[in-house]
Amino acid sequence: MFTEELKSLRRLGFRHVLLQVLNFANVITSGLMIWKGLGLVTNTESPIVVVLSGSMEPAFYRGDLLFLTNLPSSSYKTGDITVYQIPGVDIPIVHRVIETHDIPRDRSSNSTLIHTDKQLLLTKGDNNYMDDIQLYQGLDWLERRHIVGKVQGFLPYIGYVTIAMNDFPQLKYALLGGLGLLALVQRE
Amino acid sequence: MARRKVAANGAADVSESSTSAAPKIVGADSEPRDVIKANNANLTELKHTLDDALKRFLGRPDQFKTIHQHTDVRLALGWAGVFVATGTALYGWKVEFERSKPIVWAGMILYIILTSVQTLYAYFVEGDIVYAGKRKTFAKRIETERITIESRTQPSTSTSPPKYELSLAYVRSSNSGKALLHRGKGHDVRGYNYFFDEEGTLDQDVFEEWVRGLVANVTGEDN
Repeated sequence: MFTEELKSLRRLGFRHVLLQVLNFANVITSGLMIWKGLGLVTNTESPIVVVLSGSMEPAFYRGDLLFLTNLPSSSYKTGDITVYQIPGVDIPIVHRVIETHDIPRDRSSNSTLIHTDKQLLLTKGDNNYMDDIQLYQGLDWLERRHIVGKVQGFLPYIGYVTIAMNDFPQLKYALLGGLGLLALVQRE
Repeated sequence: MARRKVAANGAADVSESSTSAAPKIVGADSEPRDVIKANNANLTELKHTLDDALKRFLGRPDQFKTIHQHTDVRLALGWAGVFVATGTALYGWKVEFERSKPIVWAGMILYIILTSVQTLYAYFVEGDIVYAGKRKTFAKRIETERITIESRTQPSTSTSPPKYELSLAYVRSSNSGKALLHRGKGHDVRGYNYFFDEEGTLDQDVFEEWVRGLVANVTGEDN
């Protein structure tokens, strides 16, 4: 099936093979670096997330793509939609802030991580009856350090690709394999 | 795209070389050679096929010694970028986000610098060059020859097929570059249909004859 490509590879020599593999590696690393760069600029670990549940309907539906920021100078207000992750729980949750308590920061402390006053937050999904106390794994309030980011914008439906790839891992491998093969045999 | 071998502008008369039906073509070194096929519809692939044939022909032991500088620079910068990016990503994955930020910033900036240098090098220094070679001869004195070849594709117009354009630059010097003996420049354009038949098979003899003629013109001697 690949006799033509294999023949031409053997003819062109070692440097050419290195160049082709570099092409493939470049595809992966540029994607990786764009992701990491986005994370650094928005100051959050995952700048883009997918909504998995219906707890924020009618604002967000399952499969929506959300864009997050977590700028250190911003403090969270009631009504902000945040994505948070409780330590020990795998999946981050996207819900709305319904209550905040701002505790004036002790000025003499050495914490340089967050420039605003310390905040305690309570969240609730728009489509849920109860607030999120049950989900906090024993905590009474969410703290700033649990928040992954605040939702700044969204795109509907796009996230279904990610959901499909998570539910059917073969699809993910097939896509990656196909992309890799394409990058390996094509030239510029 | 022209699907048949038709005489193009500036081509010599083509009727004498209607090969490519035979599966093995005997080349100048009288070894049976592989058939080279390219996709006629893909202009990039045609250009790459001719560029590769050029590199193979001129890189033969009796011709020039290929200078791999441009390829090596691209490989070195490219792979360095890959390793920096992988290292940064792994570090960011292992270490918690807030703590990892300074190093990830450093890695990101390094990667951007490497990629920019690579792009600038490819654009300014490498340009259209597809082959650079040198040769040393020990006649009365040690003579060093250096040849640089650029290739471009001229897109097709309503009246002519797409063409392959070669520009050659040649320098011969002695006393390790201090005395210039000969400098030559060459330039020629041929339609792709001059080299490829309707199935996309490359007529290697025709191509090598053309290149040989151009190189002989530019070196000022019979090769």
